[in-house]
Amino acid sequence: MTTRRQLFAISALAAAGALLTVPTTAHAQDVTLEFVVWNYSLETIQDNVKKFEELNPGIKINITDYTWNDYHDTMVLRLRGNTQTDVIYGGQDWLPSWAAAGWLVPLEEHFPEVAKYKDRTANYALSDMTYQGKLYGLSYYADIISFIYNKKILDDHGIAVPETWEDVLAASLKLKEAGMEKPIVYEYDQELPNFYDAFVAQVYGRGGEMFDENLEPLFNDPESEAWKHLQWLQDAFSKHEIVAPETHESKIIPAMNTGKHAFTIVFNYVLAAMNNAAEQPRAGEFDLALMPGAAHSTLGFAKFYALTAQAAQDDARRDAAWQFIEYMGGGDYQIAKRWAVEKGLGFAQLPLFDDPDVQAAWSGWIDPEKFKQQATLAKNGTWTEWTGIWTAYFRPLLAQAMIGEASVAEVMEAGAAKWVEYRTLLRGN
Amino acid sequence: MRVEAGGGRARAVGAPASRPPRATVAARSGEGAYPWLWILPALALVLLFTLYPVAHTLWTSLHRVMILLPGEPFIGLANYRAVLESAFFAPALLNSLWFTATAAPLIVLLGLGVAHLLLADFRGRFLVRSVVILPWALPGAISAVLWIWIFHPSWGILNLVLYELGLIERYIPWLTDPGLVRVSVVVAHVWTQFPFAAVLLMAALTAIDPQLYEAAKIDGAGRWQRFRFVTFPQIKAMVVVLLVYAALVAFTSYDLVYAMTGGGPGTATTLLSFQIWKESFSMYNFGNGAALAFITVLISLGFIFAIVRALPSDLFGDADA
Repeated sequence: MTTRRQLFAISALAAAGALLTVPTTAHAQDVTLEFVVWNYSLETIQDNVKKFEELNPGIKINITDYTWNDYHDTMVLRLRGNTQTDVIYGGQDWLPSWAAAGWLVPLEEHFPEVAKYKDRTANYALSDMTYQGKLYGLSYYADIISFIYNKKILDDHGIAVPETWEDVLAASLKLKEAGMEKPIVYEYDQELPNFYDAFVAQVYGRGGEMFDENLEPLFNDPESEAWKHLQWLQDAFSKHEIVAPETHESKIIPAMNTGKHAFTIVFNYVLAAMNNAAEQPRAGEFDLALMPGAAHSTLGFAKFYALTAQAAQDDARRDAAWQFIEYMGGGDYQIAKRWAVEKGLGFAQLPLFDDPDVQAAWSGWIDPEKFKQQATLAKNGTWTEWTGIWTAYFRPLLAQAMIGEASVAEVMEAGAAKWVEYRTLLRGN
Repeated sequence: MRVEAGGGRARAVGAPASRPPRATVAARSGEGAYPWLWILPALALVLLFTLYPVAHTLWTSLHRVMILLPGEPFIGLANYRAVLESAFFAPALLNSLWFTATAAPLIVLLGLGVAHLLLADFRGRFLVRSVVILPWALPGAISAVLWIWIFHPSWGILNLVLYELGLIERYIPWLTDPGLVRVSVVVAHVWTQFPFAAVLLMAALTAIDPQLYEAAKIDGAGRWQRFRFVTFPQIKAMVVVLLVYAALVAFTSYDLVYAMTGGGPGTATTLLSFQIWKESFSMYNFGNGAALAFITVLISLGFIFAIVRALPSDLFGDADA
């Protein structure tokens, strides 16, 4: 006769046996990834994620979003605080410092197959996603900073499209004389990372550089194009009073559509929103001009999906994260194409340049040939381990100089001294 | 009872010699640990969430804690020196001092005025009292959005109203002119903080004995004299507490100003609290950020000390009474 204890043991063994005979699910299942983004077009991100989850039932994606202004600092807090984070939006300006801090890992090290995307990616974007020779991401979007003007206003006043910054000043003064108070609207917020990028783009337009190949600052030379351009901006803001500051591109779009401004300098995709006939009263009036200056160059950059070191420590998370990154930035480029078609975001994926859907969508808001011409002239920024922290120091100085609260000389000298200080601290020379 | 010192111990003269010390009684009856058990949960929370962070911040301020550099070596006061010599320190300190010196008195004055109004007898005063507290209850970021809508140079309501009334010929750059923006953020901050002052001052005003006013009237005191010789002496303790509180809140203010201006234009509205954040999270230098935080605390303590020293000695009543 079996005792109750024996019965319990037999039942337990039977239950364990039954569990062992149940087919187990795939390893990648039931992984929840933490995906952190800035909140540009959050509904599109959510929809893309939903589609990924439908295709990959074992992987769930939690999206956390921050505003663009707060993204960098909040991410530093988050990554330093070891808050679980698996896939993030990365930027060319932060990659060296975040990789050096050990927060991001190279995709190439964990997934050698990522190399297949290199040949299909524009060089400047590839360079922005690479640190110490290793690829850290697949492109979310890649774009340029553009000089945008209202062609109707210029036509009405008999003004030619400006070729140089002297032309921009002359045109602005003429418009001011005709009653337009502030012909230029400028994205002016020292907390925005692209506040510095836009300045660099304008310096590139003039044919200048911020640093030489040995990472020595050039901008503190009074004969440099950077120095001259900061002086130009200071005069435009303070002396000629032709600039209306706005704190964000989202405010520049309606501001340009009031017809009270003729020029602005913003991310290129903003032109798509300005020329969106469904939302803007003056859609169709705006066009891209080559960045004024002798070189007509500008700044090109890439934002990308990056894998964190935290995710890489766990095989299941790491593999799921790679699946997700490849879906968002690689594969057949459906996500990059969607951003390009629906939002006008630039792209680094070369096959998309010949995509008929992209071409059709873009021809509605930009002259593709002009864009191609400007994109060809675009250059990368100088991104080192300390560029991010240095720009955080330099941006308020730039802002001070523009409105005449500090002299150009003070700002350029302080900026150069801090650059050298950081370089010495981090590289020893 | 007289107390005299002797042999390193104080003994109360006149106390019965046979009476055992209180501590001994408490220990024997097991009462010694009892109060500690009750305050332990609160004490643990204070230790965990206040003392530990403060101690850690002090430690950080004395070490080189920079994310991009390996190790965290002790560097003494180098972080403090770096912060004090930084190009941003003096402007941020001046901005914070200006912000505090203008906002704190305005909050108390406006609070006092509103408290008087709300104590008046009028229809719907209970509704008005509830509405007045709203600005204080709103999160700083939401208040900032409201005030941006008011002050925005291109589409702000204030410019529109002034323009439509014919008071201005062109829109005023409230948020982009370095001088005007300092005024704009003070106005917004005062708006968010005065309701708290008003509520506390209402309580203080209500506690004043009405007979004092009657006596003053009989003595021929006018409205101003009644305020000066009756009201103010009765509420001055509350005024001082509010002044200290408002000064501390203003000096450590962060969210509202940041959300309105991002510290700009230039560094026009960059406050010390904002600079702490920047040093730590934008420039990755937690040592500098911690040093600046401690400097801010020291200045705050200086504030409190100066305000309290400036007070009449009988402000909070006679301690010997």
